[in-house]
Amino acid sequence: MALLELEEVSKSYRTDGVTVEALRGVSLEVDAGEFVALVGRSGCGKTTLLNLAGAMDQPTAGEVRIAGVSTRRLNDAALARLRRTSVGFVFQSFQLLGTLTAVENVELPLLVAGQAGARRAALERLDWVGLADLANRYPHQLSGGQMQRVAIARALAASPRLILADEPTGNLDSATAESIVGLLGRIASEQGAAVLMATHSQEAAAACHRLIRLRDGRIEAIEETGRR
Amino acid sequence: MKARALLFYRLLVRPMLAEPLRTALTLLAVALGVGVVVAIESAGRAAAGSFRSSLETVAGEADYEITAAGGLPEELLAKLARLPVPISLAPRVEGSGRLAATGTPVRLVGMDLIAEGGRAPVRGQELFEALREPHSIWCGRAVATQPGQTIRLVIHDVAREYTVRGLIEGAGLDSTLILDIGAAQEALRKPGRLDRIEVRLPESASPKVEARLREALPEGVLLRPAGARTEENRKMLAAFRWNLRVLSYIALIVGAFLIYNTIAISVLRRRAEIGLLRALGATRGQVGAAFLAESALFGALGAALGLLAGRLMAEGALRLMASTVDTLYATSSPAPLSFDAAIIGLAFAVGLLVAVASALAPAIEAARVAPVEALARGRYHWERRLAVRRNLVGTLALASAAGLASLGPPLGGKPVLGYLAAVLLIAAMALAMPALIDAVARLNLARLAGVETLIALRGLRASLGRSAVLAGALATAAAMVIAVGILIGSFRETVSLWLEQQLAADFYLQPEAATGAERDATLDPALAAELARLDEIAEVERFRAYDISFNGLPAYLAAVETDLARRWGKLRFLGGQDREAILERLGTGNYAIASEPFASKHGLRPGDILRLPLAGRAAEFELLGIYTDYSNERGYIVVDRDVLLGYLPDPAPTSLALYLQAGADRTSARAAIERACAGREVRLISNAELREEALRIFDRTFAITWALEAIALSVAVIGMAGALLALVIDRRRELALLRFLGAAGTQIRRLLVGEAAALGLLALVAGSALGLLLALILIFVINKQSFGWTIQLHWPAGLLAAALGLVYLATLLAALYPARLAQRLNPIEVIHEE
Repeated sequence: MALLELEEVSKSYRTDGVTVEALRGVSLEVDAGEFVALVGRSGCGKTTLLNLAGAMDQPTAGEVRIAGVSTRRLNDAALARLRRTSVGFVFQSFQLLGTLTAVENVELPLLVAGQAGARRAALERLDWVGLADLANRYPHQLSGGQMQRVAIARALAASPRLILADEPTGNLDSATAESIVGLLGRIASEQGAAVLMATHSQEAAAACHRLIRLRDGRIEAIEETGRR
Repeated sequence: MKARALLFYRLLVRPMLAEPLRTALTLLAVALGVGVVVAIESAGRAAAGSFRSSLETVAGEADYEITAAGGLPEELLAKLARLPVPISLAPRVEGSGRLAATGTPVRLVGMDLIAEGGRAPVRGQELFEALREPHSIWCGRAVATQPGQTIRLVIHDVAREYTVRGLIEGAGLDSTLILDIGAAQEALRKPGRLDRIEVRLPESASPKVEARLREALPEGVLLRPAGARTEENRKMLAAFRWNLRVLSYIALIVGAFLIYNTIAISVLRRRAEIGLLRALGATRGQVGAAFLAESALFGALGAALGLLAGRLMAEGALRLMASTVDTLYATSSPAPLSFDAAIIGLAFAVGLLVAVASALAPAIEAARVAPVEALARGRYHWERRLAVRRNLVGTLALASAAGLASLGPPLGGKPVLGYLAAVLLIAAMALAMPALIDAVARLNLARLAGVETLIALRGLRASLGRSAVLAGALATAAAMVIAVGILIGSFRETVSLWLEQQLAADFYLQPEAATGAERDATLDPALAAELARLDEIAEVERFRAYDISFNGLPAYLAAVETDLARRWGKLRFLGGQDREAILERLGTGNYAIASEPFASKHGLRPGDILRLPLAGRAAEFELLGIYTDYSNERGYIVVDRDVLLGYLPDPAPTSLALYLQAGADRTSARAAIERACAGREVRLISNAELREEALRIFDRTFAITWALEAIALSVAVIGMAGALLALVIDRRRELALLRFLGAAGTQIRRLLVGEAAALGLLALVAGSALGLLLALILIFVINKQSFGWTIQLHWPAGLLAAALGLVYLATLLAALYPARLAQRLNPIEVIHEE
């Protein structure tokens, strides 16, 4: 069974009286241990797809299943619980809280979930991303690459089986970007999580196992990169 | 100029309009603050204006008046009239009464209507005809509506019928009755006596005329400028008005915190904009001025709204003030409320001043932003955190200064240093607030109280600049509620205990015409003897009081039966003075005792000599002791009854205290007393009723104080709501992120409410500490110097707990809407809007 399943998923928004169809009947599956890239021009629906896949939003039509759980009938609290246990997000602009130290940022999802032993788990994740030494720094004392590593550690904090990354290298130079993509790849290979990454970068996409091309809300092509 | 206005509109006004709710809340806070000041000021003026006594306006302004405590002999008028100086003299007999139908107090003025024909408000043939009929009166509109009406008046303890001959018009004359001088002397029981003689000099009069007049006056008669009595009343009311006025500024001070907060947030949010503008060539001065202008806009709009709010509140304030003035100071009919240029000027002056002064710090902060610095987010807070220690030093310095100021004497009769101490303490608290928040936020409460609290506290700590101000505003309001609560609670308890101890008689008897403040209504002198013959009654104690003026302030001169006071009364003297020895001497000659407010107002001590002009003789009394008394702020000089009768031979008592025989039945005693008083208009009050009445008056007096506190608190809560709205807007990225990390909407709501709860709790803790200190200053410095009361400290625990609980609840309520807004934020939109 695939970890993430989208079945004929459509999503439309109404903004200023105009209906925008962001996704039109998208079906796809991502397995555990798989690292998948989502590519396409701006506005093609990448972010909408990630939000649906991450239980942040409900599709207008079709069904999203995360680890076999359909999001369709879940209320806000149940969606929140699903995100806590099963999904980790990584953003282009890192989205660290400036008022918290690195380790406190990583602890955040565990604290939100009310889990015990948050500090130890957070330090382990930081160690895994190679930032154990900087645990007590504030975000403004870190470089861009370091901040994104902290963000990745945070996404891993609750040991989710699905990691969603939205342009994670968009704000980074190419060398740093490469190491971040490598890190995401390791999440798939070493931790067996399903990683879905939206990206504009050819290099980043090339590092994935599979490549899904979106165009105008539809899947245009699915390509194997041969890097399994 | 046009470009500048455009910039101002785009960069400052437009953002204000973009958040209409928050802008409206800030405006409302300023408007309430200004409104209260305006309301108290205009109501105070109207209340004080009412002292422009009817007497002055009846026949136009006189130049001088001749008076003496206890009145003047009629012969003096004839003697002065023979002086070879060009003056005109107008005798006056005055007194108070009540309308029998409604109990409304009225002022009676007897004047020589024929002699004053030209000036009196009634004249002509009509007058002569009217004077042929006895019981003719002319009165204001509150008494009768048309000539020919018959009204029943209670004067002293007698009811009589009068015929209205005409209506008189004029400001402050609504409850005034004019009657011919002979009729007035008869009705007021002042045969052959005058209360005052008004003196008018021709315009060309030389100073010699006044000197001649003065020479002709016997010792113990006062010649003073007309209107002196009004001035005295106003002076007496000054402390009351001053303290109300100061209390009315509390809401504005709380409002100042909130304007500061609004502008500080405005600066904080626009740091990048400011940096950009500086990079584009704006000077520091321009940037600072822009933020001051933004604040001034709030001040001006708030003042305009405040005038409207003040207009509405003034009606209520005047009603409360007028009833206090009537009961405690002097019978008055308030002047109409006027919103003239002075009041409008006051509204805009305080509105703009508070706005600009509270925006000064953030505006300077804005001016200091360097073009590059604006892009480095977070640095501001970092620097703020470092200043925490320095602030603590400031706190200590301010608190020490407050301590010193509270030890200072009154300046110009006003507790200026006491107020200064209070303001310094508030400032000290405000400076300590960042450190307090910092300390609490450092505690690792996550495991104890959940992640919401951790994030909430971190949020507070990260934005110390603004959360400290917010907590400061709330703490100030809470502290004032606590301080005033302790003051009023302590005062009430002190008065209650005093009443219990002081009111020793079983019944008290007063003439029906007696009003709250004047002591000129008396009882039939024969009544005391009649009552003493009743089987149920053990003793009748006669008390007589006169309204006098002492050192330019109104006071009461009272006579007691010293031996009865020794036997029955429970006077307590200050500072361990020997009661028995004092009372023993009091009956033996020209000795006096004085009530505490009187002694402290005039700075008197035992051993001092009091000089009193009594009915044309100068009398001197040695002050033997000072006794506790909470009945009146004017204060009493008390002498022995027989001694005073030697000067003022009027035997009519102002009131009687009736002591029952041991074991006598109260109900039958009451019935017997009422039978004995039949046909006389008197009020019989039992001990318990009098006590209740006194406490009711007490509570009514402080109703306005509570109203002021409530408004100050509302301002704080409004500010809290506005600031939390700003918080939601500024932290929406963080709130959205938490949703991505698995927080449910309800958790976000709890976070916001948690933040408000944390702020509220901190504010209450700080406010309680501050409130206790302020209470000490209020009780032992400000009250003592303003009114002269000694108040025992009592803790109205239940009341304070209820007040604090209410504040806390209000804070949480203020958080509900912002919290809902936070819950409804769309995290997807927020996260992707950058």
